[in-house]
Amino acid sequence: MVFPAKYPSLNATELTDEARSVLIRVIRVAFPHESFPDGPYERTADKILDEAQESTWFRVQLTQGLLSLGQLAGGDFRDLPDEQALRVLRRVESTDFFGFIRRTTVLNLYDDEEVWETLGYEGPSFDKGGYVHRGFDDLDWLPEPRIDYLPGEVLEEIAPGAPVPTSWTITTQAVPGNQPGATSAQGREARK
Amino acid sequence: MMASQDQNEETVVIIGSGAGGGTLAYELTAKGIPVVVLEAGPYLRNEDYVNNEWEAFNQMAWLDPRTTSGSWRIARDFPNLPAWIVKAVGGTTTHWSGATPRFKAHEFATRSVYGRVEGANLLDWPLTLAELEPYYDRAERAMGSTHVHGRPPLPANNNYKVFAAGAERIGYKHYATGPYATNAEEYDGRPASIQDGFNFQGDKNRSKWSTLVREIPRAESTGLLDLRPLSQAVQITHDSSGRADAVLYLDENGTLHRQAARVVIVACNAIETPRLLLLSATAAFPDGLANSSGQVGRNYMRHTTGSVYAAFDKPVRMYRGETMAGVIADESRHDPDRGFVGGYFLETLSLGPAFLAAFVDPGSWGPDYTRLLDAYAQTAGLWIVGEDMPQESNRVTLNTTVKDENGLPVPNVHFDDHPNDAAMREHAYAQAELLYEAVGALSAHRTPPYPSTHNLGTARMSERPEDGVVDRWGRAHDVPNLFIGDGSVFTTGAAANPTLTIVALAIRQAERIADQLRTREL
Ligand SMILES: Cc1cc2nc3c(=O)[nH]c(=O)nc-3n(C[C@H](O)[C@H](O)[C@H](O)COP(=O)(O)OP(=O)(O)OC[C@H]3O[C@@H](n4cnc5c(N)ncnc54)[C@H](O)[C@@H]3O)c2cc1C
Repeated sequence: MVFPAKYPSLNATELTDEARSVLIRVIRVAFPHESFPDGPYERTADKILDEAQESTWFRVQLTQGLLSLGQLAGGDFRDLPDEQALRVLRRVESTDFFGFIRRTTVLNLYDDEEVWETLGYEGPSFDKGGYVHRGFDDLDWLPEPRIDYLPGEVLEEIAPGAPVPTSWTITTQAVPGNQPGATSAQGREARK
Repeated sequence: MMASQDQNEETVVIIGSGAGGGTLAYELTAKGIPVVVLEAGPYLRNEDYVNNEWEAFNQMAWLDPRTTSGSWRIARDFPNLPAWIVKAVGGTTTHWSGATPRFKAHEFATRSVYGRVEGANLLDWPLTLAELEPYYDRAERAMGSTHVHGRPPLPANNNYKVFAAGAERIGYKHYATGPYATNAEEYDGRPASIQDGFNFQGDKNRSKWSTLVREIPRAESTGLLDLRPLSQAVQITHDSSGRADAVLYLDENGTLHRQAARVVIVACNAIETPRLLLLSATAAFPDGLANSSGQVGRNYMRHTTGSVYAAFDKPVRMYRGETMAGVIADESRHDPDRGFVGGYFLETLSLGPAFLAAFVDPGSWGPDYTRLLDAYAQTAGLWIVGEDMPQESNRVTLNTTVKDENGLPVPNVHFDDHPNDAAMREHAYAQAELLYEAVGALSAHRTPPYPSTHNLGTARMSERPEDGVVDRWGRAHDVPNLFIGDGSVFTTGAAANPTLTIVALAIRQAERIADQLRTREL
């Protein structure tokens, strides 16, 4: 990223509280979930800030990147309505700083218990005895399916139209993909 | 009861303890043959596993750096994670889901049956289904595959109900909840599945077959297994006659050890296996051990894969229950009228929100992306797994500019889709969409392939030494006491998930090695 010197603020290298709140807004706009409370977004922002502290280069990029959003917004990025804010983010999509935010958000926002609860995911289950008595098969809006192969239904392994060498005898299996059928004696002679 | 063998004693050394290595360790010790197993990863047990996707991944996965090149999307989205495999005792069988279809007869002879396919390096296996069938039987019994040998099917879970209803409506006939190597009822000393949905995370309940829960403990109880976790093989050495004579390995402190060997079996999965052979180059084997054919590392296959996640207006809760207990075999036939050779299976698949977020559409963000996750509880998922074409240029090589923490060159994985792979994936995506639309999906999303879970072909079997690396027993054409015991030996990949075949080949190989040790041919 190259920044014109006429914006001296772009030379800032430390992340401020304001930067944090811009970052939270960025994550909300880039990963909008109406149903998510603020907590997961704040935790994700803090995770990004933590990771940025581990590398001067990331920190500088993130600080400058967040400041550049104000320039693109023509004011405070946080004041933009969703649509416009999204458009600003599309313009920085290929920058390193946005890539860093995107990657870290994808890896952390959805690894959050509050998010799981909101999405209807129940998290660890082994300690609760799994789902064998807690609804692993409670879907009731479709007919109960069969779970076994149809007896006698034979999978045609090679379509009738397929050109195959004459040395090859077409064979079939009674249980697709598994049980050898009655006719499974092979086309090619076993090699000695 | 763990045996301990002298490092100077020439013994049978198995490198890797996954599907191939773990099976070989059990089959050989059961025949009274002492073995040393070198395993790069730690000895995790079922109680160590955690019901959390990222935590489990960090605990189990092979995270040492690797690099990628080629036009596959992985090189862009996950440049240092070409493959999703485990570094721990039990290998990737601790992580796998459990689908165990067999190869079909013609899939051992694709060069003959498919004919010449431009750009593909097809070759017939030096082996037929008829020869492998007895070993398939034994592997299925060992692994407790459902639907065969009297093992009952697993019940339908929510994700399967959607999958099966869709299959029925679009006219598929060959669907069921397996074959799947997880207990529907108690079997082989292990309990029935409690449908906890965390089988990728190691399966704390031990209902899923892995070499961790079956072969390794049984080998230990013979008193003939010397299992050395945190021991990473870095070179196989040979004597002046060209026979392998020892394996050099690093312990957890980075200290180098030498284990003398009478027989060496490499079963490190299809990226580390060729890497180890390439790292073992000497003046006598300048292009890498057992590489006079130049085929070591080439013909890398990963199956043609992809996923489709469909959103409904009613709850599905796909995460409850066995991850992959649902298989459709109708498209696994060879029917060139579809515009490609070979076939594919459709199999149920579920990810939690954390993994779905990372893999559903890597690189994307914004409202279209978040909508996919908002629909999480109403989403059903399936996976495509089909035969991909071996290509000489799809290849594992040593990256001489990037080193791992031990200073060794990391493997680079180069991959381009063959046009046949792309055509098959396109067909499968379209079928999956039809399937879900038939049961009322509001939308269906095409998810690109994950980092490779199936890794195959990089030391392939061939009749003639110039066409491949190993013979019909998995023995190196060039080195009489060196065997490869994992999916690297696959001449072609077939549509089926590979592990049943890896295990069947390993059982057969163990029998061969035991015979030859007895007759002193080894
Ligand atoms: C998420 C997931 C789901 C899957 N589902 C299925 C499925 O449903 N059906 C199916 O058939 N397959 C499935 N697979 C694939 C299956 O796990 C593999 O095919 C199988 O485990 C490969 O066996 P292997 O012996 O070749 O290698 P692995 O099982 O990977 O074992 C190799 C071992 O070697 C060790 N090792 C590597 N290098 C060295 C070294 N230099 N020194 C010492 N040790 C070393 C590794 O640490 C590892 O433990 C799945 C895989 C994943 C990741």
